[in-house]
Amino acid sequence: MIRKLATLVFACAALTSVNATADQLDTVIQRGTLNCGVVLDFPPMGYFDENNEPAGFDVDYCNDLGEVLGVDVNILNLTWGDRIPSLISGKTDVVIGSTSDTLERAKTVGFTYPYFVFKFQVIAHEDKNIKSFADLKDLKVGAALGTTYETEYLAYADKQGWGRDNYTSFKSENDAFLGLYQGKVDAIISTNTNIATKLRSKEFADFVAGPYVPNYDDVVGIIAKRDEVAWINYLNLFLVRQIRDGNMNKAYNKHFGVDAPAELIQSLRDNK
Amino acid sequence: MDYEFHWNIVFQNMPELLNGAFVTLHVSVLAMLLGVVIAILLAIAKMNNSKPFCYVATVWVEIARNTPALFQIYMAYFGLGAFGIHLSPYVAVLSALVFINAGYLTETFRGGFQSIPTTQYSASKSLGMTSIQAYRYIILPQMLRRIYHPMTNQFVWSILMSSLGILVGMSELSGTTQRLQSLSFRTLEFFIVAAVMYFIITKLVLFSSSLLARRLFKGEI
Repeated sequence: MIRKLATLVFACAALTSVNATADQLDTVIQRGTLNCGVVLDFPPMGYFDENNEPAGFDVDYCNDLGEVLGVDVNILNLTWGDRIPSLISGKTDVVIGSTSDTLERAKTVGFTYPYFVFKFQVIAHEDKNIKSFADLKDLKVGAALGTTYETEYLAYADKQGWGRDNYTSFKSENDAFLGLYQGKVDAIISTNTNIATKLRSKEFADFVAGPYVPNYDDVVGIIAKRDEVAWINYLNLFLVRQIRDGNMNKAYNKHFGVDAPAELIQSLRDNK
Repeated sequence: MDYEFHWNIVFQNMPELLNGAFVTLHVSVLAMLLGVVIAILLAIAKMNNSKPFCYVATVWVEIARNTPALFQIYMAYFGLGAFGIHLSPYVAVLSALVFINAGYLTETFRGGFQSIPTTQYSASKSLGMTSIQAYRYIILPQMLRRIYHPMTNQFVWSILMSSLGILVGMSELSGTTQRLQSLSFRTLEFFIVAAVMYFIITKLVLFSSSLLARRLFKGEI
C-alpha cells in the first residue's frame, strides 16, 4: 500500500515537472550562459576597445546582468537590423542595444522599462555653420539605415516638403561617419553620445555638433521575446536595481567621464 | 515556432516595396546590357594579338572574377570616395555590377567565339566582308546562341547580387525591406515577401529573355 502511494506521489511529481514549461529565465540559468546582443559600432554604448574586446555601457549592463543571474556572459555583436532576427532565432536571450521603444515595434518584441535616453543631434563640418534644424534644407544629409533618427529626419523632411533626394542612408553608424568624413554627405544625424565620442578623435577635429532633432527624446529599452513576460519582469527589476545600487552611475561615469545627470535618472524613473 | 505572423503591415507598405523592386530590376537590367557590350569588347581584346588590349582585358577579368562582389561595391562607393570621387549609391552599385558582369561574361564570350570555327571568319573575309561585318553577321549571331544559357545565368546572378546595394545605402528591394522591417520589427514577414519578389523578378527576366531569344535566334535554343 505504502509503495503504491509512493509511486503515485512520484508519478504526480514527475507529471507536474513535465507540465511546468521552463521560461527564458530558467533556460538562461540552466544553460549557465547569457547570450547578450549588443550593437558594437555605437560608442560609447557598444564598441571594441584597443584590445579588440567588446566594451561600452551596454556591454557593462550585459555583464552586470550575467553577474546577478550567476551565469557567464556571451556578447554577440549585432547590427541595428540584426536585433530582432537574433531574438526570434534564439541566438540572443536579450538585446541591450539602444532600442527605441516605439509602439509599432512593441507589437513585435517585448520592451523593458527605459534604460537610457538619447538626444538626436546633427554633426557637420564647422564651415556648414548649421544653427537650427531648418538649416539642413539644401544640404546632403545621411544617417544609419533602420535607426529611429533616420525615421525622425525623414518625417521632418517630408513635413517640410524637402523631398528625399538629398538623403543618403548608410549600412552602419561607422559607415555614416565615414561618409561624413569623406564628404559624401554634408551632415549626418546620430545620437549626442556617439557624436561626443567621435568629436574627441582627431579625424573629426574640424567638425562640430549641431542642433538637436526638435521635440524628440529617444527613450530606449532592453528587448526580449514578447511572450517571455517573466523574463521581462526580471529585466525590469534588474534595471530598477541598476539605478538603485549605483551600477548605472558607475557605468555612466566610466564611459562618459562624468556622473549620470540627475535629469537623466529622473527621466528614467518617470518613464517607467 | 512561437511566432505570430502579421501580414497586414507588409501589405500597407507594398507601394514602397514595389518601388524598391523596380529599382532592383532597373539596376540589374542596365548592368547586364552594359556588361554584355563591354564583355564582347573585352573578349575580342583578349583574343587579340596586340599586347596592351589583351593585358587590360586580362587584368579586368582577373580582378572581377577573383574578388568578392561585396568588396567591389564597397570600393566603388567608399574606396573612390577616399579619392574625392563621389558616386551616388545607384551609380556605385551599377558600376560595380557592370564591372563584375563584364568580367564573368568575357570568359563566356571568349569560349563562345572560340567555339566558332575560324574558317567561318576566313570565309566571310573571302566574300569581301570587313572584320566588323564578319563579326556582326556571321560570328556574333552563332556565338550568342551558343552562350545564351550561361548568359542568362549571369543575369540572374546579377539581379541577386544587386541586393548587396544595401551596403552602400541603396534603396533597392533589400534596402527598402531593411528600412521597413526596422520600423515595425516584422523582420520575417518583410524578408519572406522580399524573397518572393526576387523570385518573381528573376522568373520574369528569364521569361522575357527566352521570348527575345526565340525571336532573335528563330527557334528553340
